[in-house]
Amino acid sequence: MGLLQKITDSDFYRQWVQRRATGPLRAYYDIPATHPDTLIRNIEFVALDLETTGLDPKKDEIVSIGFVIIRQLEVDFSSCEHLLVRPQKELSESSVIVHRIFDSDVEKAPDIEIALAHILPILAGRVLIAHHAPIELGFLGQACKRYFGAPLHIPTVDTLVLALRDLYRQGQPIKPGALKLESQRHIHNLPPYRVHNALSDAIAASGLFLAQIAKRDPKGELELRRVLR
Amino acid sequence: MSLELKEISDFLKLHHPFDLLPDDVIEALPKRMTARYFRKGTKVLSPEQQCQHLHIIRTGGIETRDPDGQLLARLGEGECFGVRAMFRAGRAANNITTLEDSLVYLLPEKEFHNLAGKYPQFNYFFEQMGGARLRSGMQLLEKRDDDQLKLMSVRVSDLIARDLVSIDIGASILEAGKLMCRERVSCLLVTQGAGAGEVAGIMTDRDLRNRVVAEARSYDEPVSNIMTPNPTFVGPDDYAFDALLTMTRHNVRHLPVMKDGKPVGMITTNNLLARQSLSAVYMVGKIRKMDQPADMAKVIAQVPELLTNLIEAGATSRNAGHIVTTLSDAATARLLQLAEDKFGPPPVPYVWMAGGSQGRQDQTALSDQDNCLIIDDAYDPDQHGDYFKELSTFVCDGLNTVGYIYCPGDMMAKIDQWRQPVRVWQQYFNKWIEQPEPKALMLCSVWFDLRPIHGTRAIFDDLHRMIITKAKGNRIFLAYMVGNALTHHVPLGFFKNFVMIRGGDHDRTLDLKHNGVVPIVDLARIHALANGIDAVNTYDRLEAAKAFPSISTQGASDLLDAFEFISITRLKHQVRQIRRGDRPDNFLQPESLSAFERTHLKDAFSVIKNLQTALESAFGKSGT
Repeated sequence: MGLLQKITDSDFYRQWVQRRATGPLRAYYDIPATHPDTLIRNIEFVALDLETTGLDPKKDEIVSIGFVIIRQLEVDFSSCEHLLVRPQKELSESSVIVHRIFDSDVEKAPDIEIALAHILPILAGRVLIAHHAPIELGFLGQACKRYFGAPLHIPTVDTLVLALRDLYRQGQPIKPGALKLESQRHIHNLPPYRVHNALSDAIAASGLFLAQIAKRDPKGELELRRVLR
Repeated sequence: MSLELKEISDFLKLHHPFDLLPDDVIEALPKRMTARYFRKGTKVLSPEQQCQHLHIIRTGGIETRDPDGQLLARLGEGECFGVRAMFRAGRAANNITTLEDSLVYLLPEKEFHNLAGKYPQFNYFFEQMGGARLRSGMQLLEKRDDDQLKLMSVRVSDLIARDLVSIDIGASILEAGKLMCRERVSCLLVTQGAGAGEVAGIMTDRDLRNRVVAEARSYDEPVSNIMTPNPTFVGPDDYAFDALLTMTRHNVRHLPVMKDGKPVGMITTNNLLARQSLSAVYMVGKIRKMDQPADMAKVIAQVPELLTNLIEAGATSRNAGHIVTTLSDAATARLLQLAEDKFGPPPVPYVWMAGGSQGRQDQTALSDQDNCLIIDDAYDPDQHGDYFKELSTFVCDGLNTVGYIYCPGDMMAKIDQWRQPVRVWQQYFNKWIEQPEPKALMLCSVWFDLRPIHGTRAIFDDLHRMIITKAKGNRIFLAYMVGNALTHHVPLGFFKNFVMIRGGDHDRTLDLKHNGVVPIVDLARIHALANGIDAVNTYDRLEAAKAFPSISTQGASDLLDAFEFISITRLKHQVRQIRRGDRPDNFLQPESLSAFERTHLKDAFSVIKNLQTALESAFGKSGT
């Protein structure tokens, strides 16, 4: 873990940034973060995935957000949502090819500020799950800074990092594509998904997370700190 | 509804009984469900545990056992468990353990009852599953108890009900009668020498009737005057089914059980034929009495039905193969008797041999004939040639009429080349073993699996010993056999996906015979020949091979399991075809299996692949 990340993940940093938070982000910070010593089986997680117009949080924008909540290590499908987000700029052709979301689709969608106001209460007090979390953290953090005055601080489990640790532990060479969500799901005997969008990928990551935990923690005695990124 | 949850509702739609629900209902279901993941070997439920969800297997598989540990079912993708709990106020009835890493969807009890209340067909399925279906399953188990299945799995030693009652050969008929009365037995073993050492004969209540009363014989005469000397016997490890066949063949109702020359017990028809009629045994009995191949054909025409009954009652493929082959043996032996009646007794001794699947005792519903004749070396072609030609032609033609069609490769006794004295067969085998060539290797799959059917068996014994000894030491021959065996590839791709036949009549199918059964039969033959094992049956060969270093015990066990699984899958496939009125074949569409069975089939193919590789490194490929 890099020093910078150590700092940004620390409670001290959280206390420091939350003072500047406004609006829904302030309400988010009013609910304490899950303590790293909490048993995983008692934690509520939000598996979340974003579709964006590119990979740079400073330049590119979020076009959709999908998430599902995990309670007591059960994926609760009744909680899942798929939000389209209207970007400020017109969608470029190259990004449309990737996520298949068109201008006409997002025409009437809320902009990112409203979308954030909707999901921040859902994230509050919960732990984030993402496959390759820097993207989700980067884009959500950038948007929070822009609209609500402070970055987003949230305990996060990155299923890609867990997969990577598994491979290292087994001493296996890492083949190209081995860390992809689909490959990882296949390894754990999880079904393939035909459709790819923010919600299906969030659900896919939630299943992978359950499999990774089942492997690490058959008796339900593991604390959150052991799987944080 | 969002597209993503459509994956879940689409999955449900594919599986019974969810497919019975209206589309809008099924599409609303995912939002009411949750998902859990269980590692392989996790105990998901135990009896009386709280279970407030219907569990639907998305991927993986589970095993359900009753509280006593009895296996009730193995379930795979799309199947449900925790069903009993739905009808027992949320208390699980059985033990559920995952057999693989499994993703499971959970439908809350309340939602389940909501659906069951609204949709009777949905309810009916689960009610059946929870109660009635289980009961019918139990009935099936009970029924199984007295039919031939039990005889196929039970050894003679398991049937010896009581201690042997024997009498010394010097005793009088009166003493024997009193002993039978006192011991309440219908049969006595007559022994001679100290400590009831040696079996001299057998005496039954029928002998008292036929040879004493009917002949007005004195009760003071010794039992030796009325006993049947040197009785037919069976071994304790023989199958009960074979014991019954022996009884039918010799028309006796009692058989002593002998181990290492010592009597260890007695079995009677009552032990065997408790209540049920035994269709296969009756079919054999019928064939033995018939004089016309056309009549036998009517009996053999029932083999598909017999096979269907056996498989549906849960017979193993080994049992089924044994029973079906017994019928071919009976028809062959009967035709030879008829031939000897017609053309006279043989001028010199001979033995009729079955090769291929009949030799290995693994015949199925479709079989052609592979056979040959080995004649005593006193054979003189000029003098005896015509006799054996007529005899063989009569039998081969007869078998063709009965339903065992001519061998497409002409490996039949009616062909001159395959009707030869021992000395010529020795030359054949010498050549095949010492100068292996591709054509000879093709013959090996038939002629290295020989089993005597009728005639003087001793003729084959010497030849067999020679073959075993010669093959064992010849590494070049073995390497050729290995090279040949490796030409049968299992239908698995690099990523463990099925590689199916493309195009033609069998588009998108797997050939279970040539890509599944044959490779294992080949492997077993090589391990047998390499180690001097004289068994011919594939199971027996692999069992025996465990004792040798050419294959690991685990490898042999895995291969035995794979053989049983592939064979039974093939038989079930053929039974489905027979039921539909189609001609049975070996071409299976993988989609006709459940996901769980498909996984097992892939595992079975992987086992073959691994052991082929192991064999290749142990013996080297041909030409190297």
